[in-house]
Amino acid sequence: MEILGLVNYALYMAIFIAIYALLALGLNIQWGFAGLFNAGIAGFFAVGAYTSAILTSPAADGRIGGFDLHFTIGWIGAMVAAALVAWPIGKICLRFRSDYLAIASIGVAEIIRLVIKSEAELTNGARGISNIPRPAGDFGYMESQIAYLALVLGVLIVVYLLVERQFNAPWGRMMRAIRDNEDAARAMGKNVEFRRLEAFIFGSALMGLGGALFAHFNRSITPEAIDPMVATFLVWIMLILGGSGNNRGAILGAAVVWIIWSVSEIATDQLPHEYAVQAKYIRLFLIGLMLQLVLRFRPEGLLPEPLRGDLNGRGRNTKSGPANQ
Amino acid sequence: MDILELVNFYIIPGIVLGSIYALGAVGITLVFAILRYAHLAHGDLATLGAFVALACVTALGISPLLALPMAIVATAAVAVGIDKVFYEHLRNRPKIVTVMASLGVALMIRSVIQVVWGVDTQTYSRGIVRPEDYFGLRIRDREFYTVFAMLLLVGGLQLFLTRTKWGKAMRAMSDNPNLALLSGIDNKKVVMLTWLVAGGLCAAAGYFLGLNTELKSLMGWSMLLPMFAAAILGGVGRVEGAVLGGLVVGIAEELSVLWIPSEYKAAMAFVILLFMLLVRPTGLLKGKVL
Amino acid sequence: MSALLSMENLTGGYGDADVLEDVSLHVDPDEIVVIVGPNGAGKSTAMKSVFGLLTIRGGRMLFDGEDITTWAPNRIVQRGICYVPQVDNIFREMSIHENLEMGGFLKKGDLSAAYDRVYTLFPDLKERRKTPAGRLSGGQRQMVAMGRALMLDPKLLLLDEPTAGLSPKYMEQIFEICRDVRDTGVAILLVEQHAKQALAFADRGYVLAAGRNRHEGSGADLLADREVAEMFLGG
Repeated sequence: MEILGLVNYALYMAIFIAIYALLALGLNIQWGFAGLFNAGIAGFFAVGAYTSAILTSPAADGRIGGFDLHFTIGWIGAMVAAALVAWPIGKICLRFRSDYLAIASIGVAEIIRLVIKSEAELTNGARGISNIPRPAGDFGYMESQIAYLALVLGVLIVVYLLVERQFNAPWGRMMRAIRDNEDAARAMGKNVEFRRLEAFIFGSALMGLGGALFAHFNRSITPEAIDPMVATFLVWIMLILGGSGNNRGAILGAAVVWIIWSVSEIATDQLPHEYAVQAKYIRLFLIGLMLQLVLRFRPEGLLPEPLRGDLNGRGRNTKSGPANQ
Repeated sequence: MDILELVNFYIIPGIVLGSIYALGAVGITLVFAILRYAHLAHGDLATLGAFVALACVTALGISPLLALPMAIVATAAVAVGIDKVFYEHLRNRPKIVTVMASLGVALMIRSVIQVVWGVDTQTYSRGIVRPEDYFGLRIRDREFYTVFAMLLLVGGLQLFLTRTKWGKAMRAMSDNPNLALLSGIDNKKVVMLTWLVAGGLCAAAGYFLGLNTELKSLMGWSMLLPMFAAAILGGVGRVEGAVLGGLVVGIAEELSVLWIPSEYKAAMAFVILLFMLLVRPTGLLKGKVL
Repeated sequence: MSALLSMENLTGGYGDADVLEDVSLHVDPDEIVVIVGPNGAGKSTAMKSVFGLLTIRGGRMLFDGEDITTWAPNRIVQRGICYVPQVDNIFREMSIHENLEMGGFLKKGDLSAAYDRVYTLFPDLKERRKTPAGRLSGGQRQMVAMGRALMLDPKLLLLDEPTAGLSPKYMEQIFEICRDVRDTGVAILLVEQHAKQALAFADRGYVLAAGRNRHEGSGADLLADREVAEMFLGG
């Protein structure tokens, strides 16, 4: 492969890594900090992607919009829309253990998928929405890629700094206190449900933003662009492998997993055609297996959650038995 | 629309679909109550059961009905194996970690099915089966089998849970795990029994879904939400509740097309789930809330 | 006569924090021993330590001449010690009879003799044997809990605050039953919040404060002790 092709490929990968890193940061707010299990990442991603697409694409026949707005409005709209979807779900489910949220979030993703497929007036059905403007899309191919990468990286850095600051702020300490000992936090007068709802909404908004960045990068979005289970699962394995509770870990995990995922695709592309279909599923199997191995052998991930003073000695009972109060 | 039409086109298919959901929901409710986590691989385990039965039909040339017990046994064994390999070592970690592991297992089971059997839809037997007419009620044989088998399997399970020592031990573990351990009940055996029962019923759910519709690699995943809705609607830990919940969800899905576009049929389960969590999280028969 | 259970200089607690320091006590066969003390004195912890439910860092525990310090709970159950926790001590959704059956889970063979024994001690339970235990009153639940623990014919019964939340009438009844149980040859070690009443009825007592032994003696002697009296009555 010639150098130019390699550079192009690297740019393409870097953009995807940055987008997935945003999703992983969003999940880190939910799972790493608040212990909330969101199994519907792809749903929030899709809401963001379609919202921004509708807001920014030029007017089209047969569907609502597009409204031809500036892409920044599209991106903010994507975050708001994802947050609005998250709000009622969180409101209903966060009173219970996270298992219920896991089930409900699978449901949300499913409903969103149905809406996207069936509401052609909104989403243009199976054909999807195209002509989504890409910021700096008028440049030459490679310049445009570089510009978009710079933009996405900028967004990622800003988000990272904001999230990191929140984590070290009293808010972050409180979230971890709730995650590690809900009853104690409740007894201390913390409004557990409200804090969890905050975390769930913030995280979902970031996932929506990730979806918008994806749609603008691709210049189009269709129902088939994202396999819900695969997308959701990739983000999970990124966070768990990278180290949940650690923002840098989330970004590192996104890079490692996306590189493995893409390289394995290159590897399976070399296979004779009759095995190509199988190979795709073998890759999925291996990703599932990877999660099991990480959970078993390195549950803290590559970059473990930094130990902050308030966590020392908590939840480390050497022996716990039945009826232990 | 006259009443017979309503029954033939909505209620009967609803009961059949509900019986299928019930078979899966019983396993989900048992795992939820005894092992205390939501098992997200339950749908894909049902798919596996359906395809194992298909393999028996094509490889051995037996009739689909004979393949059912084989699929039940094989899937029960697979369920126990999955627990041993992927879940057991997580037992002392927060339960939600096992929920995550089960999502990974769901993906793994599904990809195995896609590798082995491909992604095309398949059926147990070709040809169109016309329903028989019973005084105006139109029912296919396979629909009888489905409901009958569900009642038989769940009835047998109820007898096991209320009449035998180990069945009671399962209930005791669901009721008060600390006290069960203090009484000397072997936790490991109870867990294994739970997986045998849940895996076997799961296979039956997948098999009957395949018998009444067709087999495809995502068939089980799409049942996951209705099965959970059924388990929560009935009350977590309640076997009879899971059956009731399954029937309600099944009938509600079939009836929903009278009012909402049929594309959104699958949304009914979600609506029921959220509604129950909102107004009565213990379910109709007062189950647990974890 | 050698002690049935003896706890020798036990130090331990939950996780890294020691709750008990250098606690020693013993229970002889056929006696009722009560542990009293102010809240947070480590009374319940002392009892759980028998059952291997906490981390022990010093001392040892002998039962019937065997060192059981490091045994797992189910082995201790089989050896002849049964434990009734203070809360969540019944299977609520199971009938009284099923509760007893679960109590006798480890017993091989016929349980009918054990049922007879328990139903003789608690005639009220026999009449309502099919009733789910969760529907019973507090006093009756305590009976089910004790009955469940007695199914394995233990030599020693551990009761964690059996009268907590019960009316005086039921409290007397539970104490009465404890005596009946003792008379069938089962020693009892119990933790009590109602110090005066418990010391009056027990054969011997220990006063625990801040995780250490403070006083020991017959119930009557302890009741007569000024310091003990101040601890519970004066303050």
